[in-house]
Amino acid sequence: MTLRTAAAALALILGIGGAAAQQKLTISVYGISQDSYRKHLYAPFEAQCGCKLVVEVGNSSERLAKLEARKDNPEVDMAVLTDFNALEAAQKGLIDKIDVSKLSNYDKLYDFARDPIGSNYAVGYTFYSTGIIYRTDKVKISSWKDLWKPELKNRLALPNITTSQGPTLLFMVDRSLGGTTPDFAAAINHIGASRKDVVNFYERSAQLTQLFQQDEIWAAVTGRFNWPLVRKLNMPIAWASLSDGESGGMNVMALVKGSKNKELALKFMDYWLSAEVQSKIAADLVDSPANRDAKVSPEAAESLTYGADMAKAIKFLPPQTVIDNRVAWLNGWNEKIAR
Amino acid sequence: MTDRSRAALLIAPAALFIVAGFLLPVGVLLMGGFRDGAGAWSLARYVEFFATPLHVETLWRTLRLGALVTIASAIIGYAAALAIVDSSPSSRGRYIGLFILPMMISPVARTYAWVVLLGRTGLVNVLVLKLGLSDEPLRILFTETAVFLGLVQLFLPLMVLSLVSALENLPPDVTAAARLLGASWLDVFLKVILPLTREGLAVGGVLVFTGAITAYITPAVLGGSKVLMLETLLFQRVSVANDVVTASVIAMLLIVMSYAANALLRRVASVRKA
Repeated sequence: MTLRTAAAALALILGIGGAAAQQKLTISVYGISQDSYRKHLYAPFEAQCGCKLVVEVGNSSERLAKLEARKDNPEVDMAVLTDFNALEAAQKGLIDKIDVSKLSNYDKLYDFARDPIGSNYAVGYTFYSTGIIYRTDKVKISSWKDLWKPELKNRLALPNITTSQGPTLLFMVDRSLGGTTPDFAAAINHIGASRKDVVNFYERSAQLTQLFQQDEIWAAVTGRFNWPLVRKLNMPIAWASLSDGESGGMNVMALVKGSKNKELALKFMDYWLSAEVQSKIAADLVDSPANRDAKVSPEAAESLTYGADMAKAIKFLPPQTVIDNRVAWLNGWNEKIAR
Repeated sequence: MTDRSRAALLIAPAALFIVAGFLLPVGVLLMGGFRDGAGAWSLARYVEFFATPLHVETLWRTLRLGALVTIASAIIGYAAALAIVDSSPSSRGRYIGLFILPMMISPVARTYAWVVLLGRTGLVNVLVLKLGLSDEPLRILFTETAVFLGLVQLFLPLMVLSLVSALENLPPDVTAAARLLGASWLDVFLKVILPLTREGLAVGGVLVFTGAITAYITPAVLGGSKVLMLETLLFQRVSVANDVVTASVIAMLLIVMSYAANALLRRVASVRKA
């Protein structure tokens, strides 16, 4: 406490306290594409509200841990997280319900984005599909089972369990094998048995493009957000149209419990959800819009997860299933695949 | 003001910084590993950790790779350092610059370079195929060998620089004297150079070993899920399972391993010649 008082006194002496006259909104977001957000979202919002945005960045689980650590004295007003991290935050009492009547853009959202974790604890602002990309000159892929074709022996890359795509991969492979248990034992056993034929379980987008570029792989499971990077390679690579559908993920906005700027936070969320802002951020190929009215060029749409049809085809992994089973998935993965 | 209090005053800012900014938070974090579910002191987390065969396997792999990387760096490092110290002052600067240069490049970029070299169509496999050593490209990427190579490249400069400064302090006449008295080059190295430079070897060894067991990017990119090391296991526990407690157990193990390596190598270095 004394330390904090001292710090406050120091801030006053140095004149930092002067900024307090202007209202401040602290947001906790992903670190990627900050220049695009700054241009299309932060700067215009600051101009509109006459307030100052303080931006804290990091990946979702890391920022969730921070919210938990500062539970009693939150610094953040509003956070964007993965859907399952948001559900976890709700269960730990870190976030508040959102009064959706205050969001003018709420009715324009796709149905699945309106209340993704229940009880209005979050609203989805972007989503993506997870599918398969492949070399059209080497192999033909039309279902999740095609990953195990003999042509793809030593030519396949799969996402690591540490990435957001890991659980989604297990989900879709499990379904395609007729798996019945939420521990995805069927998928884990199958991938484990074929692990020597998988070139790599990759962690970063850059690895994926490099593996295609160097002819190491002919197919990979990936999120749609990596597709623009791979398309740029100018190789005969296509996004597979899968008879058994695609999975995907969603990012959501949440109000931090104990925030003193709830009204402002809601205004910011509403602005972010507007067709105008969502269209601009989508045009930069950053986030696929969750607002149905957002419009993007056909060229941009090809790189995004865009449109009602694509949205409808996605089978989302229920957030509660992720929370309940992720330790089992990780242990199974390490037991069968990582050795 | 006495000398003593002046010294205390001068050292206070640095000490305060290290205690408040490093020791305290790290201490708090590590404590978590010594509590059971109910918050009482216990070693249960450690027992749990070692009860999982995969964890023990990962610990061994980390130790093994750390030791192999250190030994390989020492062997290559001595050869390079001896040559550098023997060269003219102007080329010495150039050689040292060559070794420092990669340290200025991000480990990410350096690691990705190995993907180019070791890949199916990479330099190594082109040579293997041309020389007829194998009918098809070897799978080197994403194996323990790839992680080993990446780590040696990453930390070899630290060893070379430590050995160069140790060798520079070696009186130039001792090797000549040993040769004159009939010692073979091997004898000169083992009985003269090695004992006189082992402090440099110890410093370099600690830097390389600690760096190798705590590196994240190289094992993650060159090994991935297939070559799990303690550091990548730690990241897994936090990012997937949100399990900070096991992560703090792993962090503690890494700290203990680093200190043990330090103590061991210092002991070796300080043994007086019989």
